[in-house]
Amino acid sequence: MKIISVLLVLVASCLSGYMADDEGEPRLLASKNILNQYLVENKDLTVEYKIFNIGGSAAQNVRLEDAGFPEADFQLVAGNVQATWERIAPNTNVSHSVIVRPVSSGYYNFTAAEISYSAGADAKKRQVGYTSSPGEGGIVNFKEFNRRFSPHVVDWCVFAIMTLPSLGIPFLLWWSSKSKYDSKPKRS
Amino acid sequence: MNCAGKTIFSFLMLVAPSVVFGDSCASPQVKPSIYTTTEASSSTDTVFIVQFSLTCKGGPSDLTLYADVNGKTVAVTRNDDNVKFPFQVSFSDENKNLPSGTYEVKFYDEDGFANLRKAQRSGESSSSVKSLFSIEVNHPGVWKGPFVSSELVATLVALLVFFSAYTARNSLQSS
Repeated sequence: MKIISVLLVLVASCLSGYMADDEGEPRLLASKNILNQYLVENKDLTVEYKIFNIGGSAAQNVRLEDAGFPEADFQLVAGNVQATWERIAPNTNVSHSVIVRPVSSGYYNFTAAEISYSAGADAKKRQVGYTSSPGEGGIVNFKEFNRRFSPHVVDWCVFAIMTLPSLGIPFLLWWSSKSKYDSKPKRS
Repeated sequence: MNCAGKTIFSFLMLVAPSVVFGDSCASPQVKPSIYTTTEASSSTDTVFIVQFSLTCKGGPSDLTLYADVNGKTVAVTRNDDNVKFPFQVSFSDENKNLPSGTYEVKFYDEDGFANLRKAQRSGESSSSVKSLFSIEVNHPGVWKGPFVSSELVATLVALLVFFSAYTARNSLQSS
């Protein structure tokens, strides 16, 4: 199952309620994607956040916080679920990644991360918005995943051993008689 | 009054550079922790995550840092809640653009980053800009599954056994 969510939800300045002269305002678009082909219990799950500033000025003190991976359900492998950037310049993007491991299998709703920033000089008022949310994803049981995708080397070895008697016993019989007759010198 | 202004100005001119240099990190000590994608099933893209802690000698360690890998520059994030590795930088690209090998991630402070950008704009080589420190990322490559599937190997072995038995029987019957 491939989860790549539909792009880009947040337009943070929408929250301020007006679409005024945005030329000088920073505007952030943020996406949260899960890059996995398969979500498997106890295997790495790669989450990538991308933040674009499409506004006219730099966003200051940008803070990304994802509360969507509680410790009861996920184990953090690498990366921080909370990150801050001093500034994001206009017309640039930044990305951030986190690796987690789901502890159990089942369906899980991957929700949006929260992002907040202050717009330049007006540092007191912080804008708050959300990233896109990848949505619900099924986390496959580890055994189930192995049954489908592991190379089954052990299983094939067992199969070979099980077929060995039916092939090996006739072969040995033939081999013993052959060596018996072959060893005798030919009488002419 | 004018004279006083000039004095203050010249004083600032003398002091300001040392303030700027004092901002930078002297003899940085870095402890890194590195993650790279190793299995194609866990990510469609290759992701590098470099986390590190930084202690500076006699300077502040809450610097704004920038990282450069393969000519791509990204801002370094901070999370002070993570005491062990507060800094993080992540790169991601398609698997074929980040093959296995050793990558050098260079880190710059704000002045160094400005110099780097200047050098890149003017087309000079960025190696002339001195980085604050660097971290080596050893990427073993992404495992996309076995080259030959086990079913194919099993079929080949079965065919081999059958062929050898068949030829043995044929040679017996003909003699």
